[in-house]
Amino acid sequence: MSHHEIAVPMKAKFFSTGTKIVFAIMLAGMAAVAYRFIAGLGAATNLDDQYPWGIWIAIDVASGVALAAGGFTTALLVEIFHKDKYHAIIRPALLTAMLGYTFVAIGVTVDLGRYYNIWHVMLPDMWQGNSVLFEVGMCVMIYLTVLYIEFIPVVVERFKGKVNLPSPLSFLNGIIEWFLSIADRTLGRFVSLFVIAGVVLSCMHQSSLGTLMLIAPFKTHVLWNTPISPLLFLLSAIAVGFPMVIFESILASRSFKLKPELGILSSLARYTPALLGVYLGIKIGDITIREAWPAVLESSPQSWSWIVEMVFGVIIPIIILATPRFRKSIGGLFTAATMVILGVALNRINYFVIAYKPVYADYPYFPTFIEILVTVGFISALVLLYRACVMIFPVISVPVGQEPKKEEDGSRITSPF
Amino acid sequence: MTYKKLSLLFIAVVMIAISGSVFGVAQNTHNSELDKINCLECHTCPTPNAQDMCLKACPSVLQPEMKAAHTLVEAPDTFLIDELTDLYQPVTFNHKLHADMAQMGGDCGTCHHFSPPGHIPPCSDCHGGEKNPSNLRQPSLKGAYHRQCLSCHREWSHETQCILCHLPTEGKPLSVGFDSTDILGISHPVVTVPDKLVYRTPYESGPVVTLHHNEHIDLFGLRCVDCHKQENCSYCHDMDKETKITKTDEEIHAVCNDCHLEERCDKCHDTVEKPAFSHASTGWALNRYHKGAECRACHPTGKKISKLNRRCSACHSGWNSDNFDHAVTGLRLDEIHIELDCEDCHTDLAYNKAPDCASCHDEGTNPKETPPGEYLRR
Amino acid sequence: MSLDRRKFLGITALSSATLLTGSTHAHEIESKTDEVYGVLVDTVVCIGCRKCEWACNQEHGLSDKDLKSYEDKSVFKEHRRPNASAYTVVNEYRDPADSSKAYSMKVQCMHCNEPACVSACIVGALEKNELGSVDYDAWKCIGCRYCIIACPFQVPAYEYENPLTPQIRKCTFCHERVAKGESPACVSICPNEALTFGPRSKLIDLAHSRFKANPGRYHEHVYGENEVGGTSWMYLTAVDTKHTELPVLSAAPLPPLTEIIQHGIFKSFVPPLALYALLGLIMHTIGDKNEEQEVKE
Repeated sequence: MSHHEIAVPMKAKFFSTGTKIVFAIMLAGMAAVAYRFIAGLGAATNLDDQYPWGIWIAIDVASGVALAAGGFTTALLVEIFHKDKYHAIIRPALLTAMLGYTFVAIGVTVDLGRYYNIWHVMLPDMWQGNSVLFEVGMCVMIYLTVLYIEFIPVVVERFKGKVNLPSPLSFLNGIIEWFLSIADRTLGRFVSLFVIAGVVLSCMHQSSLGTLMLIAPFKTHVLWNTPISPLLFLLSAIAVGFPMVIFESILASRSFKLKPELGILSSLARYTPALLGVYLGIKIGDITIREAWPAVLESSPQSWSWIVEMVFGVIIPIIILATPRFRKSIGGLFTAATMVILGVALNRINYFVIAYKPVYADYPYFPTFIEILVTVGFISALVLLYRACVMIFPVISVPVGQEPKKEEDGSRITSPF
Repeated sequence: MTYKKLSLLFIAVVMIAISGSVFGVAQNTHNSELDKINCLECHTCPTPNAQDMCLKACPSVLQPEMKAAHTLVEAPDTFLIDELTDLYQPVTFNHKLHADMAQMGGDCGTCHHFSPPGHIPPCSDCHGGEKNPSNLRQPSLKGAYHRQCLSCHREWSHETQCILCHLPTEGKPLSVGFDSTDILGISHPVVTVPDKLVYRTPYESGPVVTLHHNEHIDLFGLRCVDCHKQENCSYCHDMDKETKITKTDEEIHAVCNDCHLEERCDKCHDTVEKPAFSHASTGWALNRYHKGAECRACHPTGKKISKLNRRCSACHSGWNSDNFDHAVTGLRLDEIHIELDCEDCHTDLAYNKAPDCASCHDEGTNPKETPPGEYLRR
Repeated sequence: MSLDRRKFLGITALSSATLLTGSTHAHEIESKTDEVYGVLVDTVVCIGCRKCEWACNQEHGLSDKDLKSYEDKSVFKEHRRPNASAYTVVNEYRDPADSSKAYSMKVQCMHCNEPACVSACIVGALEKNELGSVDYDAWKCIGCRYCIIACPFQVPAYEYENPLTPQIRKCTFCHERVAKGESPACVSICPNEALTFGPRSKLIDLAHSRFKANPGRYHEHVYGENEVGGTSWMYLTAVDTKHTELPVLSAAPLPPLTEIIQHGIFKSFVPPLALYALLGLIMHTIGDKNEEQEVKE
């Protein structure tokens, strides 16, 4: 473990100009969510019997899960393979995963027609082991729990012995304090079990997301309709993990006026061309074996989307990150990371929306303004919550000696708002 | 030599074996075909014969067709089909009209797939009100009725509205732009019979074939069914028939060849439209007496009459002064002349020439000025 | 049958001692398919009277439009699909060789032998009934609409306009009537017997006997006999089904692929546990090395 860095809560004014804009978008998104619950899916979305799934599944859920993959990839790298020099990225990645999966769960709830029945998935009487979605749902639920458990040490570190809720809730202080001390004593011994469980669960459901559409081979465009789709999903999720960490780290350091840890990030980025390369190789092999190359050149929206996904999401980032000069610059890192993230997101959108061909398609699907607003709103909420969390909890690491001064009333749980 | 004997024996054995097997095979085939047929599938008695066929009331699923000749008088003109009245009123079915039409097709068997000799059972004798689950091939009564009617009706009108045949039990009659009393089997639309049909054929030296349709009916006395044989309903009734029925050359000629046996091609084929038949073209222009006669009055066998002379007696050999009604010539003879023999006026039996009055009347009377009777027409 | 299977799966998921593979599961259904009921839709006999639509709407209380409004044939001008308020609709298809020849085709849930929707459903709200119907239990349903994705016939419809209690809506095969020994409402009313209800295997025999009895009248293929592993509802058409709205599908049932992948991943929980053990081993081994190194340093 590196002793040159220490994770501390960030110090900044919560509402910067950018944050205010994001906050406004979030409020609009929440209004859109309210509209969806009051008026129903038919009124709020362009979903219908031809296109039952739209961007909420493709972006909020599928891309959300993929982009939260940084959580398990860094856990794998640091905690299992003990690459301790990357220790500083564990907590940001964990927080991203935790919040990401939280919003996946919320996003699913918004999309579900009978959301109040979501607990049925947990009833053994209704378990449906043949359903891919069942496995995804179970894994996501358990993994979300695991992520929260993994985060408890961060909470303990911040608040153990300092729980001091204001007056109406002050009676809870003792209980919370007791809980934190129990957690502190026990978790240290068990947290590694949860870390491994998190990796296993991630591997399972990341791949299973790619199995979802295999039940509908006649309705999926040939470019994405492959039985190795789960493998491709897992590989792309693994590949997008580090770029996501890099992307966030650079944004966070910009936002909190810290010096980006260029050395660590460049070093981390070395893995990405290899991981993306494996993904690309298998993808090309798959297209070749299935003789699907004519479909790449058919000049349909699907073929163009596939080309964009592969060129901008995979090939160009490989080139950028394989070039040391670009990899060692903030600009190069950020560009490549962004491209990988958008590429994987586009892959998920392609898989669930663009590639989906209804049997009787009268028209193409395009999301309504409300749908877009909900999705953008959730992303905004995620960003705000992340900002709040890094300001409350010791998530982001800074070199020892550079940590912000402790506040006078830092011992209280205070709202950053 | 034993060699030869042995080989002969061998051949003999082989021959016996072959003949035996052939015989055996033949025997087996016969048996297996007989085995396939179970008499009791269709007959109630084990040994049916031509006098007593003892057919079952309902046909077997394996052999649903049985068609014997029947005459129309056996059945009533109109039926009221009301066994299944539920959502719709009963159907008034004009049986006579359909039976008439069926004569141009497969007779009673057109509709009655099971018409054994004797009584033709009504549909409801065999087709039950409910579908028989053990015999899915047999339609229920509802299915049997509707399929019976609709298999033809949909082919020609391309309409399948329920109210074409029956009105809903509830509510008022519907106005959907047609008179439901019209096609209901109460009256048949007027059939326009063409006078003349001109066909263009691929036959190069005589592409034009002219069919004087009226001639065949009026002159030759043919009935519709004489030419229109085995035509299904939609052949005439298809209301928007677009596709031409393709027939082979044999099929096209067959309908004409029934009568026009051994004719030369140019009998029908020509480069221009042929005029209607004129008896003068045979070398015998019909005079006013024969014009109105039916062809068959002179040509009872339909064959040509040859080597005919101009004398009436060549054909009318039985006429004499006692039995000939002179009035048919336009002149009713008076009391005096009617007593005369034919030859008294028509010397030399030349009936196509003016009578010779001078044989009695010295002054050379002109029969037109002082007629031997009353002229009926001029 | 399906209930037992689901419990079976539940138990499997609970205790990794029980073994389940995709293939045994498939065989279990196959052995039952001959006993299920089905309906043979003969589009050559169908006259497009739309009485089935009326009867279905009456049976399920979907519409109170009166009988005579179904005489309207102008609906055939556009291609309709079953939706949340109509479990079955009648469409028209034409002979590509002779466009004047029109045939009517009733469409509804095919009630597959190995339904993709049932395999997809996350809570087992859809089940294949032993009598043949694919039944829906709204109480279990969470409204995820994965069944709509999975269905190769685009049949399940959803009440998008209902914000609170939307349901999946589709043909029920009148399973309550069938359980009582009656035929479905649409079959009962069909005047021309274009619909025949009966044991599925007998319907296939019936279909082939119609081909034999009416040479040239049918495209001699029973659609649904083999498509996606066979369906309870089957179709006879006058022309090749590729010229009709029936989708071109292969004979392989859809669930095995995803189920084999799923059960492969979860087979007795061995692969996840193996991965867990492997990762634990790596973590431990490398951790020890590091500690040793640290000690050395």
